[in-house]
Amino acid sequence: MAPLLEIRDLHASVGDTPILKGINLTINAGEIHAIMGPNGSGKSTMSYALAGRDGYEVTGGDILMNGVSMLEMEPDERARAGMFLAFQYPVELPGVGGMSFLRAAVNARRIEAGEDEIDQLEFVKLVRAKAKHLSINDDMLKRAVNVGFSGGEKKRYEILQMALLEPVLSVLDETDSGLDVDALKIVSDGVNLLRDPARSMLVITHYQRLLNHIVPDYVHILAGGKIRRTGGKELALEVEESGYVGIDDAA
Amino acid sequence: MSASMMQPNLDQLAGLTGVRAGALSRWQETGWPNSRVEQWRFTRLASLEKMDLRPASAAAPAGTEAISAVLPENGVILSFSNGVLDVAGLAALPDGVTASFLSENDTALAVLAALVPASHPVSDLSLAVMTSGLHLEIAGRVDVPIILVFTGDDNGVSSHPVVSVKLADGASTVLAEWHQSAVGLSAPLMAIEVGDKARLDYAKVQHESAQSAHLAATGLTLGEGSVFEGFQISVGGQLARLETHITLTGENADCTLSAIYLGRANQHHDITTNMSHAKGHCLSNQIIRGVLDDSARGVFQGKVHVAPDAQKTDGQQMSRALLLSRKAEADAKPELEIYADDVLCAHGATVGELDETQLFYLTSRGIDRDTARGMLISAFLDDAIDSISHPALAAMLRPVTTAWMTASNRSETGDK
Repeated sequence: MAPLLEIRDLHASVGDTPILKGINLTINAGEIHAIMGPNGSGKSTMSYALAGRDGYEVTGGDILMNGVSMLEMEPDERARAGMFLAFQYPVELPGVGGMSFLRAAVNARRIEAGEDEIDQLEFVKLVRAKAKHLSINDDMLKRAVNVGFSGGEKKRYEILQMALLEPVLSVLDETDSGLDVDALKIVSDGVNLLRDPARSMLVITHYQRLLNHIVPDYVHILAGGKIRRTGGKELALEVEESGYVGIDDAA
Repeated sequence: MSASMMQPNLDQLAGLTGVRAGALSRWQETGWPNSRVEQWRFTRLASLEKMDLRPASAAAPAGTEAISAVLPENGVILSFSNGVLDVAGLAALPDGVTASFLSENDTALAVLAALVPASHPVSDLSLAVMTSGLHLEIAGRVDVPIILVFTGDDNGVSSHPVVSVKLADGASTVLAEWHQSAVGLSAPLMAIEVGDKARLDYAKVQHESAQSAHLAATGLTLGEGSVFEGFQISVGGQLARLETHITLTGENADCTLSAIYLGRANQHHDITTNMSHAKGHCLSNQIIRGVLDDSARGVFQGKVHVAPDAQKTDGQQMSRALLLSRKAEADAKPELEIYADDVLCAHGATVGELDETQLFYLTSRGIDRDTARGMLISAFLDDAIDSISHPALAAMLRPVTTAWMTASNRSETGDK
């Protein structure tokens, strides 16, 4: 059986600048992998290349989900195939009601799977139940998407979307940035609830502290557009102590 | 006047007297404005001049059945075809509404002539030609919406319906105009007098056929303590200009005049407003939203004039245009002329595109790109549509924008 995600010798550029210079990474079902790296190492480029964002051009290699290449797929097709990107900076959508947004996303997934659109009342119940775990109240749910949310609220709202969409592969792009200790705990608990033998996660972070809460099976160190080291969770602690200095040379 | 200008056969108007004779002689002297006239710099009428139209004289047999399905259910419909009123409809007018003909009502005609935009080609030409002239007087509270439906089938004619509406002091009513004709030029002239403490909820839909031109001139006065809540949608026609002049003639009047224009292909939409605060303590608010695709062009010209003793005026105006194509173009010309010193006035105009980051966010959740675009365009328009408080009018207007977006998605998918 093909691994859930396989990244093969991935090269990607932003504009004319090569950022990813040959990433190889295999994630099996149920595994949590962490990608750590200094600023400018290509962490965000990697998340956008996976999600298929315009302007992040894959110049070589391949991305396969369950053995199927995603390179020719649009972002919405990748999402419906089970990929989810939790944004480092969630986007405000003034005038787009939160509930209708969440419902459109859930229904897009259901229609793809050949299911009926979700009943409105059933949907409201479902959202409230999931929102409760993330300390998201009705007032927040009623507002336009991300508008007027604090940094922590935005991150919790990302995890709510993740919980509703039940992705097979979640990419969490610096989900810990801008979070205080309490918010970090709420977000991490939300993520941990979604751990499942059938689902995998790729947790991208600059700091080790998130990995105290979301404990990874593997840690990879990304620097200069390549994975320089791979290890278990103890590698994150090592980086925390000695920093990223010298990682480039280790390759 | 140049020889190429549309010069309708106006021989039958030789016997005009009074204000209509004055309008005719002004028209004959000035004709269509050329592009050197500042007010017409963005909207050129050269195409109109070449059309060689003649003023309509007879109604078309076509009915309004297809349109009535989208109109408020409990409304009374007054139907104009090729600009000619079907007088049978007057029998259904509700209590509190009195109708007369402007051709037989010199007083109302003189009031109308004073209310409509001055030195305006439509004011002069339509007043002179006046394919039908209707005057309505509203007394007391009239809850039944009065809906003026304008249809037509002859692209060789111009239609010049003239309507004046007078709301007595303390009266209230709901008035809508629905324009969906295939005439060469539709040039409706409207005058509305809102009495002291009266209230008018008003909506207009410009949904003419793709080849038609629509040039509308509307004049309103708002009395003391009156409320006017107006909304216009310009979606049809090849060339359209909706020009509205409002004068706040009494203190504490509350005026909303919002508009949406939606253009594609090579449509040209022009929303021109002139908000004149003659008395103090009045509120005026204008929210203008435009969405332009293909090579469509949109124009918003909005003047807010505050007279020297119109203190405590609150005049707001915000125009935003969304361009969906690189070939689309929007022009905005907001103007504030303020002669009082204790006022709160603000205006703004922006032109932008759909935000790629927002589109990516939506599509990254599995929502397809067309749906995502539609969600963002709806959100953009809702700012304006949410300002309509009358439920029947909101219910009439919302489907117009929804239908436009559905058609937009279809054409985009077809291009791929």
